This record gives sequence, structure tokens and C-alpha cells, in this order.
Amino acid sequence: MISNSRLQILANYCAAAAEAMGFTMMRTAYSTFVKETEDFSCQLMTPEGLTFASPITTGATWYTGLDYGPVIRMIDDYREGDVYAVNDPYSGFVATHTPDVHLWMPVFRDGQLVCFVGNHVHNTDMGGAVPASLSRTLTEVHQEGIRFPPVRIMRDGVLDERLLKIIDMNVRSPTQNRGDLDAQLACLVTGERKVHEIIDRFGTEEFMAGSQQLLAYAESQARQIIASIPDGEYVFSEFADEDSVDGVPCRINIRMTIAGDSVDLDYTGSDPQVVSSLNMPTGGNIRHSLITVGLIYSLHTLRPDALLNAGTVRILTGTLPLGTIVNPVAPAAVGMRSLISAVNQAAIFGLFSQAVPERMPACPAGGSSLLNVRAVASDGQRIIASIGPVGGGAGGGPTADGQEGCGANSAFLKNTPVEINEAEVPIHIIRYGVVPNTGGAGRWRGGNAAVMEFRMRTPEAMVTARNRNRASLAAWGVLGGKAGANARFTRNPGTDHAVELGNTDIVPCEPGDVIRSQGPGGGGYGHPFDRPVEAVLEDVESGFVSVNHARDAYGVIVVDGAVDMAATARLRGTRAAPEDHFDFGPNRSAFEAVWSRRNYDAMTEIMSLVPINWRHFVKHRLFRAAETLDTSLSPESIRETYAKLQASFNELPSIDLTVSEQ
Amino acid sequence: MGYRVGVDIGGSFTDFAVFDEKTGKLSSMKTFSRPDEPGAEVIEGIRLLGERYGISPGEITYFTHGTTVGINTVIQRRGLKLALFVTRNFEDVLEMGRLKGPDMYSLLSKRPAPLVKRSMVFGIEGRLNADGSERFPLDDASIVAAVDAARARGAEGIIISLLHSYRNPEHELAVRARVEELWPGVFVNCSSQTWPIIREYERTITAVIGGYVQPRVAHYLGSLQQALKKAGVTCEPRLTKSNGGIMSAEQGKRDCVQMILSGTASGVIGAAHLAQSCGITRCLSLDIGGTSADIAVISDGQPKFGSGELIGDFNIHIPSVSVSSVGEGGGSIAWVDDLGVLKVGPESAGSRPGPACYGRGGDRPTITDAMAATGLLGHAPLGFNAVNVDIEASRRAIATLSDRLNDTIEQTAETILQIAVSGMYTEVSALISKYGIDINEFSMLAFGGAGPMLGCYLSRELGVKETVVPLVPGVLSALGGLIADLKSDFLSTVYLDLSEGDAVLIASEYARLKDRAESWLGDEQGFDGDFRVTASADMRYKGQSYELDTPIDLAAALAGDVAAMSAAFHAEHARMYGHSNPAAPLQLISLKVVITGIGDKPMFEEQEVVPARAEPQRLVRAFMDGDWRDVGLFSRYDLSAGSHFDGPAIVAQDDTTTVIPRGHSCRVDRNGNLRIVKGDQA
Repeated sequence: MISNSRLQILANYCAAAAEAMGFTMMRTAYSTFVKETEDFSCQLMTPEGLTFASPITTGATWYTGLDYGPVIRMIDDYREGDVYAVNDPYSGFVATHTPDVHLWMPVFRDGQLVCFVGNHVHNTDMGGAVPASLSRTLTEVHQEGIRFPPVRIMRDGVLDERLLKIIDMNVRSPTQNRGDLDAQLACLVTGERKVHEIIDRFGTEEFMAGSQQLLAYAESQARQIIASIPDGEYVFSEFADEDSVDGVPCRINIRMTIAGDSVDLDYTGSDPQVVSSLNMPTGGNIRHSLITVGLIYSLHTLRPDALLNAGTVRILTGTLPLGTIVNPVAPAAVGMRSLISAVNQAAIFGLFSQAVPERMPACPAGGSSLLNVRAVASDGQRIIASIGPVGGGAGGGPTADGQEGCGANSAFLKNTPVEINEAEVPIHIIRYGVVPNTGGAGRWRGGNAAVMEFRMRTPEAMVTARNRNRASLAAWGVLGGKAGANARFTRNPGTDHAVELGNTDIVPCEPGDVIRSQGPGGGGYGHPFDRPVEAVLEDVESGFVSVNHARDAYGVIVVDGAVDMAATARLRGTRAAPEDHFDFGPNRSAFEAVWSRRNYDAMTEIMSLVPINWRHFVKHRLFRAAETLDTSLSPESIRETYAKLQASFNELPSIDLTVSEQ
Repeated sequence: MGYRVGVDIGGSFTDFAVFDEKTGKLSSMKTFSRPDEPGAEVIEGIRLLGERYGISPGEITYFTHGTTVGINTVIQRRGLKLALFVTRNFEDVLEMGRLKGPDMYSLLSKRPAPLVKRSMVFGIEGRLNADGSERFPLDDASIVAAVDAARARGAEGIIISLLHSYRNPEHELAVRARVEELWPGVFVNCSSQTWPIIREYERTITAVIGGYVQPRVAHYLGSLQQALKKAGVTCEPRLTKSNGGIMSAEQGKRDCVQMILSGTASGVIGAAHLAQSCGITRCLSLDIGGTSADIAVISDGQPKFGSGELIGDFNIHIPSVSVSSVGEGGGSIAWVDDLGVLKVGPESAGSRPGPACYGRGGDRPTITDAMAATGLLGHAPLGFNAVNVDIEASRRAIATLSDRLNDTIEQTAETILQIAVSGMYTEVSALISKYGIDINEFSMLAFGGAGPMLGCYLSRELGVKETVVPLVPGVLSALGGLIADLKSDFLSTVYLDLSEGDAVLIASEYARLKDRAESWLGDEQGFDGDFRVTASADMRYKGQSYELDTPIDLAAALAGDVAAMSAAFHAEHARMYGHSNPAAPLQLISLKVVITGIGDKPMFEEQEVVPARAEPQRLVRAFMDGDWRDVGLFSRYDLSAGSHFDGPAIVAQDDTTTVIPRGHSCRVDRNGNLRIVKGDQA
């Protein structure tokens, strides 16, 4: 045991080891992707595989509580000088899509296994059906590149070239992948050395006991946070616009139970797994990092100085039903799990907003689409360039406006300067900034959406936009605050041949075509009529809010740059009290007028009873039937539709229509 | 022949370093700072120089000064109300920044509020392409409208930053000329004139910071010039720059952006000079003051340079001495969280109310109190009798924690020091990995009020080979200004895919930069001594999004030797990142020339080394490594070159206290530095 007075010393040394690993990765990485987007993680883990230290200044934000246990336990002869790797999302559920190559290395001291060090890097390409291995259109994990189960790639410090050559042969840029693998190995070696330095100082016993205490300390802090939240049951659903190309909405449904200092998340009622690559492979582990990332954000928001590690997520129990989008069975494609992960995060924010509205902001925009341009320059050179993320602002409140353009759970993103893009890519950028009136109105305004508009200058060009969402369903506002605006994706805006592209993610372009990508806006917090008149005027002067929007949304009349106080007071006197905690915006309200919670529950209940491989098909048939229904949709009509479907496909089970509703 | 005077104004004290050009002797002096009347401490100091050393103001031939007035203006947000003119449809450049937020895990985290409000940003119609050619001409009506609006909204100055001005400044210059016509006398500056780098946000924020601090800096420097004149100092005062060089105060009034980090850079330059003159090739400088610890990496007498140094909430992108700062200093407060875990910082008691043991009203336990409670402090007066240490007050403050921890006061105090050291260790360890340096080859040069106290402990954790405590640790910053050279950087952004065909362009650009540099040194700074010109280039592999500042042999640069430049880049890339790819195509982003006018350097007085075991004045009780022990107390002024003794020991002197742990030994070198290593030394 290490005493409480000295625990922080160990915490600092472990943090130092983790940060050193992160900087080593950044410094030695080969690909720009790792160096600039920092899509990597690294960690110190207990012998059981629980992360007790990870960097907080570098790397991706999703892997704080990562548990390597399942893959670690698949190996039984660890030796000093070993390194292991996995990228298969279905072997142990540590890797979450094929580009993420995870490594781990045992650290021995005097013959005793004292901990593991691990890391992962998102490789730009792992082979498969499409360059970069990721697309919404893919339907099986086999299309997403080469996969390997947990496998030893180094023994006694010597790399196993046999396996690496097979990988080289299957990926599109082997030099780059190898360069990044070298960085991963350098990072592990740094971690191993740092662990030995810690043990030199503390001794093996104190280090091993101390790493368990760090988990326990993070758990206790998390429990304190949860204990400060009122006990109760909270239910919330968040939707993705589409579950596949030209698909229908996709729901994450969670029932959160806060009891004392514990949290239970029940995902029953979430959509079935989909025939696209949006599935989140969790293996049914409720403490999986894809599930807990939203929880970690919420806890850190509630208490920024709390330690975050695998102990944090011990507060969590729950259910992830098999065959749903949060626990798909192989070989469902999983490449774009990031889109559903963002939806899942928003769902968890919605639960915490109900529980502690005075401490949580409205919904952040999310839905940052990553724009890429593929073109051929006039000298024949092929160009594939990421020109940056285009998303939207943070949710407003509880004590400040939301960050403009990009923030909250997208705050790890970096953009590419306009000047660099114009120098590297044959495009002219017409506009880059934020869009007025897109942040949800509120006492605290949601952050406005970002926009990038550019003209293509070469033939045979293509724009791809990964992760597009919220073209139809908006980021919600709370406590009288309004939902943010929808995302828009337009070719040739403002012309007679303008095309709204919705959530399309691949757009072929001709020279002269103008592409305009606009993110969603963050939700607002509190009634907009309570926003001080001066703040609204400042927004008008700043171009964040137009004169008309100031009048319509905020009840503030601005004439010739000054507020008409009398008219404003009259207008603001007419406010109606908000009825609900949430404002979801017009599209979701319209959708839920048909697909109410009752109806949607009835549909997902049927889903839970049909074979997994039928679910996507049946769901889409039920949606199609709802569109042509003469009467209004009801649980009964949904069950009738299913009964008809079952009659024509007798592989489907018959379902007892008298199932009682909850 | 006369005297050179370097001055560093800190929060509590102002340090003077005086170099006698005739004898080569270096002396130092301290006065109280006068935040209420900046400049008054300098006048007081000059009076004292006469009193103590018989130096008349007229004999001062050289006067340099490092100041924090620029950075403080940004931190306190007390700068000019600026308007910013940018390319239309890109008005949100400051709002968007580079997107990334300061705390990636918080839903509430926000980028710092811009120094220019969005309502003060105005779009100018007109556009350049990436190659500098014109896409759309400037629209005069948009300039007129912007000036009118800026005036109406109360702007006090205007910064112009248009897209691709790093490549072609003509649009910016044309807008500037028009602004001067429309609004004669208004302060106006362009991003291309400030520092012409590619990347619009970085170039814009750099120009904005420069404009933001301008009136305060200029006013301050003007008062200083007048005060010096009144005091009878006839030489033109000079300023230390962020790049570790100096320039005239007159230029500083115009070119404020160059001296934002003046204060921090001075200390590192002083440390670098000291290290070099003592034959230390690689060292970390550790400057621990009341609220923070500043750490810099020094090799072969040169600090590391970089851009993107932090100024308050913002990064500024001009060449600067690289310094990492940890928010831990003598005033950092220790506390126990609600789970009973002991923590240190980030809250600080600062210099007011200060540590409990200073008896100025502070009652919360700080790092300084932990030193007092363990018996490391309080055996000799601190800070030239300015402060007496009240050990009982420090024990009372720490008792509030030890009661909760169920531990003794002294053990709690020692743990507080260990936590503080482990926090600094975390930062230095990150620095080591970032630069990929081999720390075992490094010395640690510890200075500042608390540096020599914690330096050995941090060295022990890091595994550096020795800890060095200079003779007068408080005066390094003042000394830095004194020995810094006239120095300036010149940049040309060319942005091209590097090929043999670019030789002529590269040669002519380097020649142009060199001419400008020489004319700056000779004509503007009036320097006629020896000087050095070095060249470098920001290069990268095509497809990378960050550049590496690659040193280029000057002759190769002036010849436009593309092969030599490529080879230099591959080698630098391998050195920095551990790999290179000589077959991959390269991009050349910008060319840089640095000119340095080489001034005389004071030599540190050398003493004859007479090895002798030093005996302590007396033994004192101090709590070290878990126990009260008899520890030798030495006076720094009793030690001479060759004196040596073993730890545990405490060395007291006017401006700091050095702590030497058990198992370490100390020897005084010929320059009077304490050299402390683990184990015995020959």
C-alpha cells in the first residue's frame, strides 16, 4: 500500500510515463495522420489489462478507460521482450475498427510481470474495398481490410517479419504503416523504461499496489460525482439521421438508473445492427470505451480535476443487447462506428442533462464531417488531401455560450489553414467561418455552425465527407433553449442547378462546381428571451445573429444598430412558457409525431425477437409500411405489419401480438 | 571604457548586473521593484550604483533591460482596442483559431476569448492566390466602409491581415496606405510586416498581439528613456528580445512583438552564457520563482529556439527562446482533497499574501512553508533582509494538513516537496521525450529563489549528471541582457516543391534576406563590429503538415545549392524524428536568415582552485528522507574555488538557499559555482 499523502507522487510519475509515451509517439510517427490528427492512444495497464494512466495532452479522447483484459488473456506465455498486436474488432473487442492497430508489451521486473504498456495508432489504410478502408457503404467487416487476431509480433526484441510481410502485401501504403509501427514500438520501449524508473523509486510492491490504488482513487472520485446526482431513472433517445445509405433513422435508447454512487445504463430499445458500417463493436461489455466515452466527458465536465482511468468506469453496470447497433455480431461492418459513437455520446449527455440540468450544457453539434478532396493536378499528379473537419459549435450553458464552430466533444479536432489548403489542393476557398443564426437560441446561445465553401478547379475530382449526420435531426436545446440548425451539404448553392446533398458522403465534381459544407449548430440553454439585450446586440454586431433572428428568436428589436427597448419589452412580454425539458427542432418533432416513443419501442421489441440477420430488413419494411399507412401509426399497426411480413417469410418467427406494453 | 549595466525587473525585486569593461569584473545588486511606478526602481538602482560602486551615470556606456510589460499586458488584457481587417468571408479567423480546445475532455472548455472582438473584425473585398497573384482586385469601397465602421465602434488601432500576404504583401500595403489617408495618425500595422509566415491564424494572432501591446510598451519604454536621461545616462537603452538577442529601445517602441518574451528570454540567455563559460555543453535551466518553474534546454551555449511560445492564453509565432513553464513555485499551495489525498497547486499564494512563514497575512501552507517546516529554510535571512522566516507559522499551516493525513508535520512537509518535484518531473520528462534528448548527458542549472532548493531533488529524479548553482543565482536574468548580442531574424515564405530549378530563386532570396539583415545591423542599430550570419530553411516531406527548421550552410544557401539543402533536411529529420526518406519529394516553405552582432562578453572571474574540505559554520536540524538529521550549514561567502563537502548540507546566501541531499557531494568550481553530484567526487 502507498499512503494517501504519497499517492499523488505515484500519480505524477505514472502521468509522466504516459505523457512521455505520447510525445515519443508524436515525435517518431511517420504519417501526418498520427502527428497532426493525433488519432492514437497509449497507456499503462495493470497485469489484468486495466488502464491506470494515459496522456491527457496528446492523443485521442476515447480510450481513457480502455480494458485490454480480453486480448491479454488470450495469450499465456508472456516473456520479457514480447510485443503483441491485434486489429480485429471482434477478437477481444479492444480494436474498434480495422485501421486501429493495438499493441501491448509485458513489463517484467526480477522475473515478475508488473504491468503492461500499450498503444494504438489509426493507420490511414489497412486495405479492403475502399482506400482508407472506411465507408458507410461497406456491409461486412471483411471488406474493411486485413484483420489479425491477437498475435505475437516480437519475441526477445526481434520482430516477426512473416506476419508483417503479409500485412504489407494487403495494405495500400505499407511504408507509412511500417513507419508508424516503428513509432508504436518506440513508444512502448519508452513506457517500459519509464515503468522501471518508477519501480526504482517506489519498489515493485508499492508500484503494483499503487497502480491498483490509482484505479480505486479514480473510482472513488467518480462515485462522489455520481452521488451528487439525484437518484432516479432517466430515459433518453438520440437518433442518427440514417442507418445506411439512403436509410432510415437509427436510435440509441438508454435507460439510466442512478442509485447512490452507481450508474446503470440499459440500451434495450436501441436499433438492431445495421447493414452498413455504423455498428459499434463492444462485445456486450458495458464498460467498453465506445460506450463510456460519453460518460467520461460528462464526469469530467461535472468535475474537471478528477483522475480518469479504468477505475472511473467501475461505477457502471448495464445491458447491451446482442444483435443491436451497440453490440453487433460478426461479420457486421464497423468502420464508421465513430458516427454512432457520437450519437451515443449525445444520448448520454441527454441523460445527464435531465439529471443535473444546472450543471450540464445543451447538446453539442457533433457531426463534424471530415472533408477530403481527391483530384488530379494539371501535371498529372494525384492529390488526396484532407481539407479539414467542418462541424459545429458546443451546446450553450449552463453559465456560458457554446464555443463557436467546433468545441465540446469535438474539441480534439484541428483544422487545416485556408492558406495551406489553397497551396496544396486545386481548389479556391470562397468562405471559411461560422454561419449566423445556426446556434440554438437561448439564454446561453449554442455555438454556431462552421462552413467551408470552395470551388473545384480540376476535372475528375471527388469530394468525400466522412461522418456526415444531423442534416435532418438537430442538436437539442434545453430548459427553453432551442435546438441548433441542421447541417447542410450543397453543390452549387444559390444557383439554378443547386443540389442538396443531405448526408451523401461521396460527391463527384466538375471543374467550376462549388461545394458548400455547413455543420450543425449547438443547442441553446434557457429561454432566449432571458438573454440580456446587450448580449443579443453584441451578437448582431458580430454577425453571429441577424437582425431578423434577434427579433424572431430572442424578442429583441434592433433598429439601425440600436435596440428599441420599448418594442423589445412588449415583444418579450408575450413569451410562452416552455413545456418540455428538451427542444429537438422541427424535424425530430415531426418524425416523433409518427414514430413516437411508444411506436418505436414496439418496433425495437419486435426486433429483439427476430433473428439478427433479418433485423435490418424487417426494420426497413416496417418503416416503409409506416409511410403508406392510411391510419396513424400505432404499436398495433406495427405488429400487424410484422404479422403480414411473417406470413410471407415463414423463416421469421411469429410474435405473440398480445405482448403487453411497458 | 565604462560600465555595462543589465537590469531585470521582477515581481518583488529588481536585479542589476554590472560589468566593468576595464577590469572585466562582474558585480550585482538588488532593489525593490516598484510596480506602482515602473522605472523608479531603475533610477533608484542607478543612484545606488553611484553610492556603492562609485559609478557615475555618465560612465554607463551600455544599458540593457528585460521587461515583462508586454506579456503582462496580454495576461491582464489591458491592451489597445484594435480593429482587425481581414479578407472578406474569412472574418472568423480569430474565433475559429485552429479549432482545438484547451481541455479536450470538457464539454464546457472554450478557446480563449479573442483579443479582438468579432464585432471589431471587418472584411475587405479582394483576393490573392496561393502563388501571390491576384484573384480579385481590392475594392476601395470595402476599405472605406471598414475604416468608418472601425472608427464608429471606437477602434484605437488597426491590424491588417489578408490571405496569402506572406507571399505578396501588396494588398496589405495598399490597404494600409488607404487607411492612413482616411484616418491620418491612427496606429496601423500589417501581418506581412510583423512576421510573414504562412497559416493565416498564426500570422494574424502574432500581428494582433504585437499591435495589442504596442501603446503600453511604447509608453513604458518612452518613460524609461526619459528617466535614464534625467538620471544622466547618455547611452541609448537596449532591450532583450524574445529571440534571445537585443535591439534598441527605440526600435522596441515600434516592433513590440519582438520583445514580448523579453523577460523570460534574458534568464535563459544568462544561463546559456554561464554554462558555456564554465564548460558545460548541455544543460537544463531551472528557474523557480514564486508562482512558476521555467525550464529550458541549452546545448553548446545555445538555447533551443522555436515559435509558438505561450503568451497568456495565446501562442505567438515569432522565433523565440523555447521555455516550458510549470505552474509550481514557492507560493504554490498544498491541500488535501475530500478523499484524503495530498495535493500541491495549482493555486498559489503569490507574493501577497505569500507563504504563511513570511508573516504577511498568508495562512495556507505553501512549498516555501514546507521548506521552512523541514528546517531547510530559516537559518539565514532571505532576500537581503526583506523577509524573515517564521518557522512556527509554517508548522501551524502544515499542521492543518497533517492532522487530516494522520501524519507528522515534518513528514507531511517533506511529502509536499516530493509532490512538487514530481510535478516538475512530469513536465521535464515530457520535454525530454518531445525533443528526444539523452538526459544523462545533461547538467541542471538551478536558479531563481527556489531553484537551488529543489534543484538537486529534481536532478536526482531525472538522472541528470550534476546540479550547478551559480554564484549569484538571482542575477542571471539581468546578466542575460548584458551579454546578449544584437540579433534579428528575417524570413521569406516561398512555398515550393523543391527542385533543382529553384536554385536561382533560392539564391536571390537568401541574398536579399542577407542584405536586409546587414542593413538592419549596420544602419538601423549602428553596429560596426564582428557579426555572424546564419541561414536555415523551413522544409518538410511533401504531404507532411509541419515543417522542420533546418540549418543550412550559408555558402550553400547563397549558392542556392538544392542538393545540399535536401541532404541537410534528411539529416535533420533523422536526428529529430529517428527516420528519414531520402527518396521522398521535399517542400520548401520558407527561408530564414539570422544576423548576430557579436559583442564583448564579460568573463566570469576565475579563482585559483585550492582543494580543501570545507567545514560547516554549525550543524542545524533538518528533516530529510524521513528523519531529523544533523545537517551542515555553510555560508556561500565562506566557500572558495576548490572547497568541497558532503551532503546533507544547506548553503545559505542572500538571494537563495541551496539544499544538498544525503549521498550527494558538492565542490566549488573555479567560477564559484556549486557543482553537486551523486556520490563522492574527486
